[in-house]
Amino acid sequence: MANLDLEQLFNESNCNINKEKSEAERKKGCTKKAKPGLAAGGCAFDGAQTVLLPVADAAHLVHGPISCSGNSWDNRGTRSAVSQFYRIGFTTDVGENDVIFGGEKKVINACKEIKQKYNPPAIFVYSTCVTAMIGDDLDSACKKASVELGIPVIPVHSPGFVGSKNLGNKLAGRALLEHVIGTGEPIFTTPYDINLIGEYNIAGELWQVMPIFRDLGIRILSSISGDSTYKELTYAHRSKLNVVICSKALVSLAEGMKQKYDIPFIEGSFYGMRETTKTILSIAEALGDEDLIKRAKEYTRKKEEETKERLKPHISLLRGKKVLLYTGGVKSWSMVFMLEELEMEVIGTSIRKSTEKDIEKLRHAFEKNQKALIEQGGAKDIIRIMEENKGDILLAGGRNMYTAIKGRYPFLDVNQERVYPFAGYDGLVEIAKHMVNTIYSPVWKYAENSLFMESAL
Amino acid sequence: MGIDKELNIKDHLKLFREEEFKELFRDKASKYESKIPEDEINKIKEWHKSREYHELNWSREALVINPIKACQPLGAYLAAIGFEKTLVYSHGSQGCNAYFRTHLARHFKEPFPACSDAMTEDAAVFGGYNNMYEGLENAYTLYKPEMIAVNTTCMAEVIGDDLNAFIKNAKDKGHIPQDLPVPYAHTPSFVGSHIVGYDNMMHGILSQMSTPSGEKKDRINIIVGFDTYIGDYREIKRILDLFGVDYILLSDPSDILDSPANGEYKMYYGGTKLEDLKDAANSKATILLQKYTTKKTQELLKEWGQDVRVVNPIGIKGTDELMMAISGLTGKPVPEQLEIERGRAVDAITDSYYWIYGKQFAFQGDPDLAYGLSRYLMELGGEPVHVMCTNGTKDWVEDMEKLKEEFPQGKEMNVYMGKDMWHLRTLLIQEFVPFLIGTSYHKYVERDLNDLGFPLKLIRIGYPIHDRHHLHRFSIIGYQGAIQLLTWIVNSIFDYIDNDTKGMATTDYSYDIIR
Repeated sequence: MANLDLEQLFNESNCNINKEKSEAERKKGCTKKAKPGLAAGGCAFDGAQTVLLPVADAAHLVHGPISCSGNSWDNRGTRSAVSQFYRIGFTTDVGENDVIFGGEKKVINACKEIKQKYNPPAIFVYSTCVTAMIGDDLDSACKKASVELGIPVIPVHSPGFVGSKNLGNKLAGRALLEHVIGTGEPIFTTPYDINLIGEYNIAGELWQVMPIFRDLGIRILSSISGDSTYKELTYAHRSKLNVVICSKALVSLAEGMKQKYDIPFIEGSFYGMRETTKTILSIAEALGDEDLIKRAKEYTRKKEEETKERLKPHISLLRGKKVLLYTGGVKSWSMVFMLEELEMEVIGTSIRKSTEKDIEKLRHAFEKNQKALIEQGGAKDIIRIMEENKGDILLAGGRNMYTAIKGRYPFLDVNQERVYPFAGYDGLVEIAKHMVNTIYSPVWKYAENSLFMESAL
Repeated sequence: MGIDKELNIKDHLKLFREEEFKELFRDKASKYESKIPEDEINKIKEWHKSREYHELNWSREALVINPIKACQPLGAYLAAIGFEKTLVYSHGSQGCNAYFRTHLARHFKEPFPACSDAMTEDAAVFGGYNNMYEGLENAYTLYKPEMIAVNTTCMAEVIGDDLNAFIKNAKDKGHIPQDLPVPYAHTPSFVGSHIVGYDNMMHGILSQMSTPSGEKKDRINIIVGFDTYIGDYREIKRILDLFGVDYILLSDPSDILDSPANGEYKMYYGGTKLEDLKDAANSKATILLQKYTTKKTQELLKEWGQDVRVVNPIGIKGTDELMMAISGLTGKPVPEQLEIERGRAVDAITDSYYWIYGKQFAFQGDPDLAYGLSRYLMELGGEPVHVMCTNGTKDWVEDMEKLKEEFPQGKEMNVYMGKDMWHLRTLLIQEFVPFLIGTSYHKYVERDLNDLGFPLKLIRIGYPIHDRHHLHRFSIIGYQGAIQLLTWIVNSIFDYIDNDTKGMATTDYSYDIIR
């Protein structure tokens, strides 16, 4: 129905688990099916939007009934200085008649109207559960619309039922690889052109690290996809290096680009001082320029010194505080390092959305003292671990935030709805400041004691 | 609506922007107004921003500019109107009376019945007793009150009218019945402020209307203080009912100042029953919800031999103290319902506190509100940086200094007494903070600062609020009140952020749907 080629999507040669799997198992992929009856995370459609919505000047048309668009409308903290166009919620608003007679025409007509009214450089069309099930041929509809309108109309096969959010990330990556990357050319190239993959500029984190690249003379050719234009994605294949920021989500895209365009990739993270430095140095090394490597070393050393100085007053307040990290992907380990740099004690981290590589890194980090690696999460477990370990603060996403609050634990949102950016050297100072503010907020004192008991005595 | 459009009728918001009027104004300005040149105005504006101007402003000794306080009778009015079938009566000039009624009516959007004996020049020379006799008689005949609460304005105080003697004579001479209760208080405007007037009137009514019989009843009195949030009176009653406590709320204006539109006007509506008032001295204890507004009254209550507790039930800690006071005095546990409400309030705070922590605030208003709100802001993680009370007193400053020590957020708090709104204006220019909590009058400070390039945002909490509707209906005390205050504060922060980020294609990358 959804015309998915899972085999290709999970062709991740670097993955340790894949290496050990039999041919047949590998074909099945590794995406975990949600257990029926349990509260679950977002669907593939949501995951596809995660990756593509930051393409700010493109139109994003959701082919489905109202709620697919309605519930996801402008729901991510991704920021753009290019345009606020991506905040407009376009949908075909599929109704009963469309379910019976098919919705392909509606897609074409909707694209026409978008073109007429807004004239965007491209339109992404997302399929959803309903439109995949009724068998709308999205590819052909998009092709027709594209020919007629003279702009790229990209089908994104992302019906929610195919799997998790993470699978949706990959599906979006495939749409980019098949339909977008390689369709344009940059005005010029330099030997210092890189792509960032998986950095969505949530809360402005891309912007927070951009000065580092500017200072070192490295050009971000294409940002995939934070604060990006459609055009810059089309020439991503001309970059010298792919830097994958959120490893699990789009490592398949990097793999694909390696095969198709012979672009090497490295993985990195901008959370914490040490990781930021490491990422910058490995970019410099991968680009292979001696002078750049020298400059990068000097630059990162200076930055680290500065940052340490700025952190001093915060660290004195954070030292030894126990923190539970409940997030996904690369953050599960990179933020551990970040927190350790603040001399905090990490009592556990979740690994539900992490790759085997991520987990390996974690095992290494936690070697000395065995900490909780939380596989299957959930509100109750979080509160239990916080209780057992006498945690001081929980770092997680919006869905768990309100749970933490019920558990009366100081909380900082580090996921998609986070309000403050935490990337790079500045981000470390920022997160330190916010953790101090949240841990030392007087409200927790009130939350702890029960008047009821006191007065009854 | 429709007819206005048809006839092209415009109100003052639009009419005078028409070319015809613009021309008229321009013409008048250029020919007759010796208008100050634009660059001169800009020069002065710049000067206003300077440290020099600020220091000159703060060294003012004689002139007061835009004081944030009212005078004694206004407070006395609010205290008196909360008693059953009680006529508020002002011995003095009629104009004062008209002012207070207007001022209070503008805040509550309700009629505020009160009368005056309209002293004139001859009264100033020969004494105001004739006005008093005639006034009391007319007021009694016309408005048929069961109690008349007499306060004074400056005029009567300057000539030294003896209220006690006047009222006694009025009764002896038969102007009013002997048994009509007429408690009184001297409330000169030139001493203290409206909160002192509230205290004097409350003291006058209690001391003259109630005497201890020696027997102590298992009941507590509640005195709310100069509180212009109608919901607070209802909230304290609800809390006491949940406790199942026997109580007397001394002065309860929640009915008369929030009466239903049901086709008739009642001059007297609700209020503390006079028989309860008479028995108030026999309660074993009194809880007062304001401190600096009830100093003299507290003395009286102690003379009565009551257990006197003063709490400031704004915010979580303040309400906790109220709960413990009620529980401690009555031996009853805090009802589960209130425990749940407390949990909800804490939950609400934790939903929002990360938008408030680290944010800096200024406050100007009454001392009790200043204390409660500053503490609550700090509970939210906010930093009250400038706390200013035109009518603040030394003991208030001392208390505030102690409060500073209780929270790390109080590190930068500055406490000012006796300063007016013009002091606040230049202070905010010199030491800017983005949020100001104040009254309707503070909209001028907000506008001035905005005009000078400072993005100040006013959050209206206090008295008076003339330019926004219905805020006075809510409660700001108790756990429910904490949620209400939080709502106003955090949403004002969002308004501020939205306004700051709405620039088309400039700052709107942060103009978010989710906050």
